[in-house]
Formats: sequence, C-alpha cells, structure tokens
Amino acid sequence: MLLQVIVNGIATGCIYSLMALGLTLIYKSTEHVNFAQGEMSMVSGFVAFTFFQMLGFSIAFSLFMCLVSSIILGLLMERLLVRPAMRAPHFNVFIITLGASIVMQSGAGLIWTYDQFPFPSPFPGKALSLGLIRIDGVSLGIMGTTALLMVGLYLFFKHSKTGTAMRAVSQSQNAALLMGISVKRSFALTWAISGFISGVAAVLIAPVIFLSTRMGLVVINGFAAAILGGWGSIPGAVLGGIALGILENVAPYYFPSQIRNIIPFAVLVGVLILKPTGIMGEETKRRV
Amino acid sequence: MLELEGVETYYGKVQALKGISIKVEDKSIVTLLGANGAGKSTTLRTISGLIPSRRGTIRFRDEPIEAESPERIVKKGISHVPEGRDLFFDLTVDENLAMGAYTRKDRTEIEHNLSRVYAFFPVLQNRRNQYAGTLSGGEQQMLAIGRALMSNPRLILLDEPSLGLAPLMVKEIFRIIQEINREGTAILLVEQNAHMALQVARYGYVLETGRIVLQNRSELLLEDQHIKEKYLGTRK
Repeated sequence: MLLQVIVNGIATGCIYSLMALGLTLIYKSTEHVNFAQGEMSMVSGFVAFTFFQMLGFSIAFSLFMCLVSSIILGLLMERLLVRPAMRAPHFNVFIITLGASIVMQSGAGLIWTYDQFPFPSPFPGKALSLGLIRIDGVSLGIMGTTALLMVGLYLFFKHSKTGTAMRAVSQSQNAALLMGISVKRSFALTWAISGFISGVAAVLIAPVIFLSTRMGLVVINGFAAAILGGWGSIPGAVLGGIALGILENVAPYYFPSQIRNIIPFAVLVGVLILKPTGIMGEETKRRV
Repeated sequence: MLELEGVETYYGKVQALKGISIKVEDKSIVTLLGANGAGKSTTLRTISGLIPSRRGTIRFRDEPIEAESPERIVKKGISHVPEGRDLFFDLTVDENLAMGAYTRKDRTEIEHNLSRVYAFFPVLQNRRNQYAGTLSGGEQQMLAIGRALMSNPRLILLDEPSLGLAPLMVKEIFRIIQEINREGTAILLVEQNAHMALQVARYGYVLETGRIVLQNRSELLLEDQHIKEKYLGTRK
C-alpha cells in the first residue's frame, strides 16, 4: 500500500520538519547554527521522564514540564553560551553549540544512563480507518500537533507586533535598533521559541523511538530537511522535512530496506546539484 | 533642542570624530556637509546611540543622552533615517511603517501618524501591501522618511536622502522635507548635494576628517569661496 506508506512518511517527516524549523528560526534571526537543537529535545524529554517515572507526577503534568523546560533550556543556551559570543564569527558559535550538544548528551548519560526508556504518548493508540488507509492515533497526533504549531507560528510572525519586529530584526539589526526594537530581547525570544519547538518534538518523537541519549541525533535529519527545503526558508524547512520523511518510508517499499538511510541523502545531493539553493530557497537579489 | 559638545567617536582604534560641536535649534533645518568619510554618518549614528561616543556631551531638550540606548533615544523623540534607507525589504510598506511606531503604544496616535505619513506620501498608500524591496528608489526613500515619522519625532536625522535618486525625485523629496519641517519637526540633514541642502537649511556645518572646519548661516555658506570650490563645484 503505497498510500499507507506515504501517510506514515508524513508523520515521520513532521518530526524532521520540527527539527528543521527550530534550526531555521534561529538561523534566520541570528544567523547562528544551533547544533544542539536535537539535544535540547532529548534533555527536555528526560525532564518529563524524571517527573513521571522518578517523581511520580501525572503524565499530563510531566509533558507540560517538558515544554516548560525546553523553553528554559533555549533561553539558557542563548544567555549563557551564544550571547557572550555574539560578536564572534558564526563558525565559533556553531562549535559552541556543537560542544553544548556533546555536554548535554554525556550529562544526560550520567544522570539518566544510556538505556532506552519507553515514553508515554499523549495520543490514543487507536487507529482510524479512512477508506484504504489506516492512521494510528499517534501518527495522527503528530501530524495534528505539528500542523497546529505551524499555524500558530505563522499567525504570530505574520500578525503580531512582536512577531513582525522579530522578522524586522532578521532583516536589518541596524534599522531595528533605530526603531527602538531590542535586538537582544528578540534573539532571546527566538531561542525560547526554538526551545519550545524542540520540546514539542520531544513529546511527539520519544513515544515512537523510545527515550534515550541518542535521541538528539534526529537533528541530522533536521539539517538534511532544512537544506533540502532551502536553507533559511521556513516553508522550505516544513516541506523538506515532510519530503524527507516520505522518501525514507517509500524507499524500502521498492528497494532493500537497508537503503532506508541512503535514499534520502542521495535525493538531497541530487536536488542540491540541480538547484543548489534547495526546493524553496531563493537567491538573494534585491533592488537597491 | 540638540546640542553636541566636543563629541569624539572611535571605530576600534580609529578616531572618526575629533571633537564635534553642533547645535540644532527648535523647528529648524540644519545641514551637515562634507566629503565621503568626513564623519557625517558617524555623527548621526553617534547621536542616535548606535555607536557610543568616547568623549563629549550630547544634550537633547536639556537632557544628556550620550549614554542612552537607541531604544531610549527614539522614545525621547529622535528618529534616524539611516544611510542607504535600510528598510525591512521583506516586510510590506504597512509593516515597515508599523515598525516605525514600535515604541508607541497609543493606537489612536499611531493611526493619526499613519494617516499623516500617507498624506505626505500618497504613492505609498497605493502600495501599502507591497514588499518594501519591490519599491522604486524614490518610493523607498519616502518609506524610510515615513517610517521615521511614525514615532512622531521632534527631531529627524536624515542621512543622504538624495542618494541615487533622479533630479526630479530629489526635488520632490526636498519639498516634502521642508513641508515636514513646517509642521514643526526639526531636521538635521546630512548631504553630499550641498547646493540642495543649503537651499533648505537655515544653518550649515562643514565636516572634514572628523572636524568641523566651517559653520555659518546657509546663505553665507552658499557665497563662501571654500564651499564654492569644494562642494558646489562652481568657480568664479
């Protein structure tokens, strides 16, 4: 059932989209590349795990704390690691976030061990039949939550004053300062939002692949998705993620299943040869 | 209204302003002339708080502002139209104007300012949902000035409004600058087009390599031999 495989692919792809979206938001507004986006997700997943497994809180409260901690983690990353290096070359910040991701991974291993843990899904496991295809509740929940988050972010950036100011900062920090917009606050808010997205990703992904310190590696697929869609483009990040998810699920349908991890990257390279800026990426040209 | 005294500004180790003293009276137009690299834009950037001054005082309406953030300076009533317009290209005309009013909270005041800007620049109203990057050069300059007006400033710092514009458009922009001034806003105008600038300004300063070398009423500067040779390109 090709259609069925595609639907499953979209659900996987949503996770990649979320990763890519977190990366893209930070890149667009600060031009920094956050390699720790996946680890932020992993750590907030373990925070939820601590609350329900170790401290005995309810699942709902624990997942809520997962989201709260992801926002705090984003803010901490910005304030403690990125802001002090604001004037450093972007490559330095990339290395700083890479270092942060390694620290978080080892730190999580020390605290919570390197085992895999089951993680409860907030969505019912019951499958829904739609004609020929069946969508299980978890996949449906992933797609629904991702869609809701995207719409929310779109409305925020397009129609709120703060969201518009954040877009303004991403276009010209100099002019934004002259308007009286605080660039620092805007950067902090960007990291908080990216943190929140990583928290949502944790809630969605951990029930599917189990909670472990290796969970953060999903950021690699996030990078692939963002580049496939067009680095720096928000619709591109979403589209790239979904395309990557579908490819990954459809490839084993036709080829031996070991190819699962090869095909998406082969396609990625192919797309970049044909259109170096990615699917939605645009060359910067502008009237002066 | 605005008074700079002995202001010194550095870019790293390079001193860009070597002790500048300037005065802008209430509701007047004052121009700052000089060649490329003389320090004209640096002066404006120092006033609006984008670069810190290392020595000297800047007073606006009898308050020292040399240590304030750009945000606070906008709130106090100084708007800066930067060099090369520096618009938000991927924001619409309306969104650019809304950002100009970022520090204003009062909705009716913002609405009032918006209709005032559209009265000055009717062409912008027809393009209100267009991205700023798609406007012509003249329209972009209008939008940059309109954006600065949105915070309802008492003083506008205008950096090279004639840059890259056709002569007719330059005329139109200068006409609007005078109109804005007539409604009570003081203007500190930086220009390479000395002739145009001295025609609208009441008073002028000439900057050379970070120092004021000449200052006088505009009509006298227009007659000055040094100015004529160096900035007006006329010899008699």
